[in-house]
Amino acid sequence: MNLSRPDRPQRLDLLAAQYALGTLPARARMRLARMAQTDTVVAGALRSWEQRLSPLAEGGPPITPSPRLWKVIALRLGLEPVRAAAPALWWNRVAFWRGLALAGFVAAFALGITLLAPTPQVPEQAIVAVLVGQDAKPALIASIGRADRILTVKAVDAAVVPPDKALQLWMLPNGQPPRSLGVLPRGAVARITLPNVPEIAFANVPALAVSLEAAGGSTTGAPQGPVLYSGKLERMY
Amino acid sequence: MAVAPPTEKSLRLATLLSRVALGDQAAFGEFYEKTSSHLYGVALRILRDPSAAEEILQEAYVNVWHHAGSYEAAKSQPLTWLTTIVRNRCLDQLRRRELDTVTLTNDDDDDAPAYDPPSDAPSPATMLMAGAEARSVRDCVDTLDAGPKQAIALAFYHGLSHSELALQLREPLGTVKSWVRRGLEKLKTCLDRAGYARAE
Repeated sequence: MNLSRPDRPQRLDLLAAQYALGTLPARARMRLARMAQTDTVVAGALRSWEQRLSPLAEGGPPITPSPRLWKVIALRLGLEPVRAAAPALWWNRVAFWRGLALAGFVAAFALGITLLAPTPQVPEQAIVAVLVGQDAKPALIASIGRADRILTVKAVDAAVVPPDKALQLWMLPNGQPPRSLGVLPRGAVARITLPNVPEIAFANVPALAVSLEAAGGSTTGAPQGPVLYSGKLERMY
Repeated sequence: MAVAPPTEKSLRLATLLSRVALGDQAAFGEFYEKTSSHLYGVALRILRDPSAAEEILQEAYVNVWHHAGSYEAAKSQPLTWLTTIVRNRCLDQLRRRELDTVTLTNDDDDDAPAYDPPSDAPSPATMLMAGAEARSVRDCVDTLDAGPKQAIALAFYHGLSHSELALQLREPLGTVKSWVRRGLEKLKTCLDRAGYARAE
């Protein structure tokens, strides 16, 4: 395909339509977007089609994102901890609660409080990972104080593990295979001792994951079962 | 360009945006609360990967915070504006991902993050009609034949490429491509006649 603007208006119109619909292949898509930056005719064609198709976007049902999304955004922008500031956030919204399994209700509420309000329950300089499953709902919360050695893993809405199985916690270091932090003891709260303080133990570790293994954990040193949950380590300091 | 008259919700969102532009955190919180589940639905359906969808939204809201002032109320409504941005980012990523997959000729797709819509999720064709209904474009969508309608719905809501459409609809690639093309042309003629959007 020619790099210059498609000369026939029909051709440009079809490309713009497919761009807005989404079916344009990667290279053509990038090329058209680049052209639109300098060529107002191309930009106009894209805008017309985006505008035309935009009402269709309203047809898809909304899906509530994980609460950690707002937390991460607020953290990145350095917004003040949410107290009286935002009047209607998810934790007091009916739809959000309806979306959570009843079993996770109380724990999730506690999570909302500990993560978003500066209470003494979580040390101010904490490292937190919200582990979520495929459905993007929080299942486990791992947290540790900056100077601690004990990682606390709270079950919010984790799967029921059959007696012959176990959940195993893994660090996911950058560019290296997962490293086990051990099998999670059964119960609502598990405590795992780290080999070192988090700043060293998690130095190259952006995320944690949990896999489903045979009782006693993986025998190979690598996850053998499916990864059920994962989440980024967020440093709250 | 013709823009549909703003709804009460749009007006509220535009007001919030103008306050966000002044650094009002409460307004930003409310704006997030009113828009995030719509945008997350759009992103998750296309990317089928919760963490990738969250990342797109994260960037989008960070940009809203920094550039709320550049939003032009005259050109589009706030949610339309943001939805277009989010959809485009998702599609950029999805198409790039396919490019990488092709290069690596990775045929073991088991690692690919799967998104199984809940069983009560509406079908793409239903969403197409619901979306159309929301802004009275239903008549135009209704003029589409079943094949083109299905193809356009799957592409729009789930980001399917031509070859994925052919696979999904069990039709030859050429048929699917011409369905998409004819469907889009027909939509355009009908929508423009209804005064929906017109090129400047």
